[in-house]
Amino acid sequence: MSTAIPTPLATIRATARGYLPRVFQGRGWVLAALVMVPVGLSLLIYTVAQIKGAGDSHPHPGEVLKIFHEVLVKMMLPIMALVAAPAGIREDMEQRTLALMLVRPAPVWALPLGKGLPWFFWGAAWLVLGTLGLQVIGGDPALLPGRLVALVSAWWGELALMTLVGLFFKRGTLWGALYFFLWEPLVRIFPPILQRLTFTHHIESLAGSRAAEVGTSQLLAQEQVSTHPALACLALLAFGVLCWALAGWKLHRTPLGLAGSEAEG
Amino acid sequence: MISLNRASLRYGPILGLSPTSFELPDGGGITGLLGPNGAGKSSLLQLLSGLLPPSGGEVRVFGEAPFRNPAVLARLGLVPEGDRLPTGLRADRWLRMMGELSGLSGEALNAAVASALATVGMADRAHLTFTRMSKGMRQRIRLAQALMHGPELLILDEPFNGLDPEARLTLMALLRSLAEKGTRILVSSHILGEIAQLTDRILLLFRGRLLAEGSVTEIRQLLDRHPVELRLTGEAQVLARWAVEQPELAALRVEDGAVVISVRSPREILPRLQKAAAEGGIPLQALDPLDLNLDAVFQYLTKDHA
Repeated sequence: MSTAIPTPLATIRATARGYLPRVFQGRGWVLAALVMVPVGLSLLIYTVAQIKGAGDSHPHPGEVLKIFHEVLVKMMLPIMALVAAPAGIREDMEQRTLALMLVRPAPVWALPLGKGLPWFFWGAAWLVLGTLGLQVIGGDPALLPGRLVALVSAWWGELALMTLVGLFFKRGTLWGALYFFLWEPLVRIFPPILQRLTFTHHIESLAGSRAAEVGTSQLLAQEQVSTHPALACLALLAFGVLCWALAGWKLHRTPLGLAGSEAEG
Repeated sequence: MISLNRASLRYGPILGLSPTSFELPDGGGITGLLGPNGAGKSSLLQLLSGLLPPSGGEVRVFGEAPFRNPAVLARLGLVPEGDRLPTGLRADRWLRMMGELSGLSGEALNAAVASALATVGMADRAHLTFTRMSKGMRQRIRLAQALMHGPELLILDEPFNGLDPEARLTLMALLRSLAEKGTRILVSSHILGEIAQLTDRILLLFRGRLLAEGSVTEIRQLLDRHPVELRLTGEAQVLARWAVEQPELAALRVEDGAVVISVRSPREILPRLQKAAAEGGIPLQALDPLDLNLDAVFQYLTKDHA
């Protein structure tokens, strides 16, 4: 039988299509719930308040800002990356099924991206839906495009980062959690140069800063800097591409045997 | 087709395979890779299938180094040990993906999936997810993924583990049929009987070293200092008297009325034994070689290197 060597694009397409059903299973619905539970609860509270005719049932942009920045960006997005990334190429390593893919003539470096793409699109779809849901409560329509772009591009970058970390470290999820929940919050006290090394900075540059909304307990220790939205978006997308490329390079370079562990080549 | 030149493999401080050299010629046929657990079989197969590069020496498959080499990988199929498959996927869709990763597309892909499923007898159950399949069914799917692109070299690591007797026979028949059609098959096992049923050509590994290579008989001939046991049935006293006069005799005992002799160089003593029996010199009713089989060869060799 004559076979051709698959192109990188064909490899990515085949892997993404092959593993697409995984996102419709348990982990995929956890991902959806991470976005929709807080948004859904907010919607429920808002709807109940409206039905009861309570005084504060009018649209509340401040609440939306809080849910977006404090819940979706700060908590749910990192947790989504921590949940989805282990279902990518790391899953095949741990289930010891990666060897079945590595003995194919397809370019190995394309496999992490191929396995990650279904998770990216699935998560992005829910993030878009969740952000649209927030509009019902009273999100500022002018900020909507920025919020959508911010969440989707940050999701792209964070998922890629977690995939990469999962290939470099056995306890990738732990390192990822430390990064998201220890490093990122420091953006409030970082000098400008370090602020630019956080997802939070780029998300706020794209979606609009919540600085005007912070209370006295959340005062910035350093001046908050801003990056042009286009540059912030480009930075997130480019960072994601870089992480996928590094993950591909790492997988290509690492001799992985049947036990899923490295041998000294 | 395959050539190893002092190829070795280390897992950190652990030596998985000592420097090993051998060659397998082009063309079809089955070669058994035999050794107890931990002998280095999987290490060797991982080198040959391009999963791992050698820590030292050289591995050539189809004339090239196989590690991350698409030209080599397009021509080989691997069935790793175990029945692990990705969770939550349907067999037919997963096979399609594997086919695409092997460079198949369009009608050729459809035909390859259908043919591979039919070959392993899973055509009517390919819509099941792996979690709903039995161990034997998953093993068949793993074989199908290795066959679908028509590899010239098929490598199977302990393929009979977990299969029921009927499935074993079916797999053996399939492997023989593939070998007859020109596929070179390398199959590993730690169960001697499986390899002995499948092929006469073996590579014997023990503790990361290639101990012997060749047919069972050829390997046996390497072991001249190990006597072969023959069971002579007849009048024990007369048979024993004849046996003690033979210079090749190493040991003799009487068991259940038969004489069991241990002899060196059986090819020399056997013609004399047959002649004596034919001329009525000894009352021989039956002659059974007790240990001219793979188990005995294996035990002798491994005992020497333990």
